[in-house]
Amino acid sequence: MGIPVGIDVRDAGADPAAVERAFAHLRWVDATFSTYRAASEVRRLDAGTLAPADAHPAVRSVLARCERLGARTRGCFDVRATGALDPSGFVKGWAIERAAALLAAAGARNLCVHAGGDVRVRGERTPGEPWRVGVQHPTLRDRVAAVLTGRNLAVATSGAYERGPHVVDPRTGRAPRGVLSVTVAGPDLGTADAYATAAFAMGLDGPAWTAMLGGGYEALTILADGRVLSTPGLAALRGG
Amino acid sequence: MSPRAAARRALPVAVAAVAVAALLASVRPRPRPTAPPPPRPVLAAPADTAVVRGVSSKRPRRQGPVRTATGDVAVTPFSYMEVRVTLTAGELTRVETVELSGTGARTQAINARAEPILREEALKAGSADVDVVTGATYTSRSYLQSLQSAIDKARRGG
Repeated sequence: MGIPVGIDVRDAGADPAAVERAFAHLRWVDATFSTYRAASEVRRLDAGTLAPADAHPAVRSVLARCERLGARTRGCFDVRATGALDPSGFVKGWAIERAAALLAAAGARNLCVHAGGDVRVRGERTPGEPWRVGVQHPTLRDRVAAVLTGRNLAVATSGAYERGPHVVDPRTGRAPRGVLSVTVAGPDLGTADAYATAAFAMGLDGPAWTAMLGGGYEALTILADGRVLSTPGLAALRGG
Repeated sequence: MSPRAAARRALPVAVAAVAVAALLASVRPRPRPTAPPPPRPVLAAPADTAVVRGVSSKRPRRQGPVRTATGDVAVTPFSYMEVRVTLTAGELTRVETVELSGTGARTQAINARAEPILREEALKAGSADVDVVTGATYTSRSYLQSLQSAIDKARRGG
């Protein structure tokens, strides 16, 4: 994926082989899905040199989920927002979600897997204490705007603190106004990733849309004017 | 899918069914011909789209004036649904369940109803006693220029 990945397993008898398998999975995801690698399946599908029927089942499944998410987000999560096929707004979270599941299947109980601002936690940071996930403050680099805690939680954030152009509203072709970041917390990181991407692309329409997500997904939106809007269920995830 | 999520997915159908029942009660055919009511005001909304999700229709028993009516929008956890009915000579001959999406005036007005649900507060800056940070990245290649790198460095060095 081109970004550093962190895997933090805090069980007494953690299995290093399972951690290595998780890293191997992430390397496979990068080779298969990266839009920066001309030989990836995603790039070849887009170029027409790989037929959809010949793609890896995981690729087909991911693209099918992206299509459903496109409908669910009124087109604001769009794998073709930039013109080329780019499912990375979902794949990043999906890959981390799968890595966490691999570790859990290998017996890990207390783990935190994160990459590029996407986080998946299970269990506890220390016995009796849930994991603490900080929401990056948009302007003060060494501060957090909020703390979310959990024992089984996925958290993703989309935004542009310095108005970077990497997220485009497919409806207008421009960077959205008025919103610095959207953080979505819920049961699945791929979905949270796509929801955060879509909500951010919606600009000031995003917060109201996040209020209707359901399925255990909650959101916190930081606006450029210094307001923070959160869905009612987010309060239950807030830590001190 | 969890039972709760399954229950939530069932909601749009239940809501649509209730809306249809309410409409049927209110548009029961009248025996005497009357002038059609003024058209229901529709906000000009070129950026809204409506996708028909379910249709049931039947042949009219007799020919006559055709009218359509649209029920109130139902806001469900997943979408905006409305029910449109067609009456031929006063008889209900078609029911459509329509899912609305888009950015036009119509859906924005619906959005505005959802705003009070959100909790509002002022942005605060807290200290970072956390295990991990979630934040926006600039590109998929750049490292999150934030607290996470400091935490990772501290963990490597500590």
